Amino acid sequence: MANVSKFTKIVLGFGFFFLYAPMLVLIIYSFNSSERVNIWADFSFKWYVELFRDDAIMSAVWVSLKLAFFSASAAVILGTLAALVLARAGKFTGKTVFGSLVTAPLVMPEVITGLSLLLLFVAMVNSFGWPQERGFLTIWIAHVTFCMAYVTVVVSSRLAEMDRSLEEAAMDLGANKIKTFIFITLPIILPALVSGWLLAFTLSLDDLVIASFVSGPSSTTLPMIVFSSVRLGLSPKINALATIMILTVLTAAFAAYYISSREERTRRQGELINED
Amino acid sequence: MKSKQTTLAVFALAGLLASTNALAEKVVKVYNWSDYIGADVIEKFEAETGIKVTYDVFDSNEVLEGKLLAGRTGYDVVVPTIDFMSRQIQAGVFLPLDKSKLSNFSGLDASFMENLSKLDPGNKYGIPYMWGTTGIGFNEAKVKEVLGEDVPLDSWDLIFKKENLEKLSKCGVAFLDAPTEVYAAALHYLGKDPNSEDIKDYQGSAPAKELLKSLAPSVTYFHSSKYIDDLAGGEICVSLGWSGDIAQAQADAAEADNGIEISYIIPKEGALLWVDMFGIPKDAENVEEAHAFLNFLMKPEIAAENTNEIWYPNPVTASLEFVDEEIKSDESIYPPADVKAKLYTATVKPAKIDRVLNRAWTEIKTGQ
Repeated sequence: MANVSKFTKIVLGFGFFFLYAPMLVLIIYSFNSSERVNIWADFSFKWYVELFRDDAIMSAVWVSLKLAFFSASAAVILGTLAALVLARAGKFTGKTVFGSLVTAPLVMPEVITGLSLLLLFVAMVNSFGWPQERGFLTIWIAHVTFCMAYVTVVVSSRLAEMDRSLEEAAMDLGANKIKTFIFITLPIILPALVSGWLLAFTLSLDDLVIASFVSGPSSTTLPMIVFSSVRLGLSPKINALATIMILTVLTAAFAAYYISSREERTRRQGELINED
Repeated sequence: MKSKQTTLAVFALAGLLASTNALAEKVVKVYNWSDYIGADVIEKFEAETGIKVTYDVFDSNEVLEGKLLAGRTGYDVVVPTIDFMSRQIQAGVFLPLDKSKLSNFSGLDASFMENLSKLDPGNKYGIPYMWGTTGIGFNEAKVKEVLGEDVPLDSWDLIFKKENLEKLSKCGVAFLDAPTEVYAAALHYLGKDPNSEDIKDYQGSAPAKELLKSLAPSVTYFHSSKYIDDLAGGEICVSLGWSGDIAQAQADAAEADNGIEISYIIPKEGALLWVDMFGIPKDAENVEEAHAFLNFLMKPEIAAENTNEIWYPNPVTASLEFVDEEIKSDESIYPPADVKAKLYTATVKPAKIDRVLNRAWTEIKTGQ
């Protein structure tokens, strides 16, 4: 830390402040006994109790988590396939078109994506009777569509960096293409898949606009509940929920960090013993 | 082979689930604003009728409109605000109500229904649920400090008289940034039709436009939500705003215990009325159940229960005796009959009028 300039430290401090101060305020206010989100009264846990009693919010949380999980998983599979084709299939007619089409949802305004998917679903049900009802399934399709674009970008850049001679070596030693992919390529790009999955998970959890358009009965997601309650004033229950989510994420991040650093330590110790 | 069997089993199971679902339960799918119904109302309805309620929420009229116009929303009951609904009625997205299944329909306030029939001819498609007004919210102590003890606090004069507003600008004035509503109020104040479709009322040096232009320099800002916090915090002392928002400012100030007391009035000359309406989309699947649900909500005790929860007045006349005294006696929520008779609704105007109005509004705000 000695060679870090004062300026850098200040900038770092501001960065952390802007990132974490709002969350801190939100966590503090989740213990506020007042009905209003912006006025402090007393310390209390009452909004946590209320939160778990609120079936609408709890079911929306469940819908959102399920949706995010399935969207991210499907997006990773499809996105990786698309990235592989773009990186490995060599030159084929329409490669540029395909490449830009895959990533188009990145730059498309959400309203446009949402509305066009809604119109597509309506047109589909009118012409061949499916999907009969919009809901979880249609939101899932919509989320996979735009999450996939993000995964493709993440995985493509990893594939571009990867040393192809490793694959070639495996094939020289007699592995077929599938075996090479599973035992060589996949482990190398795995970090990209994980970060792609996490990115897709958060994007899906976050999305309000697209989900609003393509949702149907009993598929209200968490952002939809939060935004619709703004009209009659936000309830501190939302603060309580956000606090729980932040703490969960932090705990998971710390746990991951702890486990990986412990592994690192044992590995190093192992190396030391070997050297002795 | 094994995977094929699993697939078959899954399909069979799915089919089984679907068919038992269809047989066992009657449902109604409701799409409403969030926190906009009494806490136990749905449970009571389910217990009484055996119809299961699927309750979903939306956050803006625009989202609802998008879905309604695209068709096949999947919902049986939706709740647009009246001006949106009137446009949607013209687009033909609603099913005419079957009044024979709505035994409580006659319990709705007659004058109210007449008012609504301008937007929903013959009250064919919509049932009013809750309503509110666009009036004046103010900090009584500060206003009296500026304008003197005996200033009349029940009239549009308070903010539409230039000399009053000039003085009030010292303690801060906010107007809604909603051209249709503010302009309609000005037209109404000048004794004209608030829904005038005469282009002369909006163009050149029309009296309403001149009035607003002369007031604009004294208006601290035009904004449609900032005034809630500012009223409660004492940054402004008067605001032309929506009843629900000002009630929130009232509660905020009371909670903060900062010595600020906010009042809301519906001026005696009359004010704009907004209504959230129930409608049944044309392609609803559970029409029978939707009618049962709407009829249930028009029961006086149930309507009162909703009002007691969300603090908006409902148009079911007989519900009043079940409404909490605190709400019932608040004239800013339940205005007296003579004021109520003067409330008016906003109609959908031709595109030409909208354009001229928007231009006039820009001129007013920029002070040209």
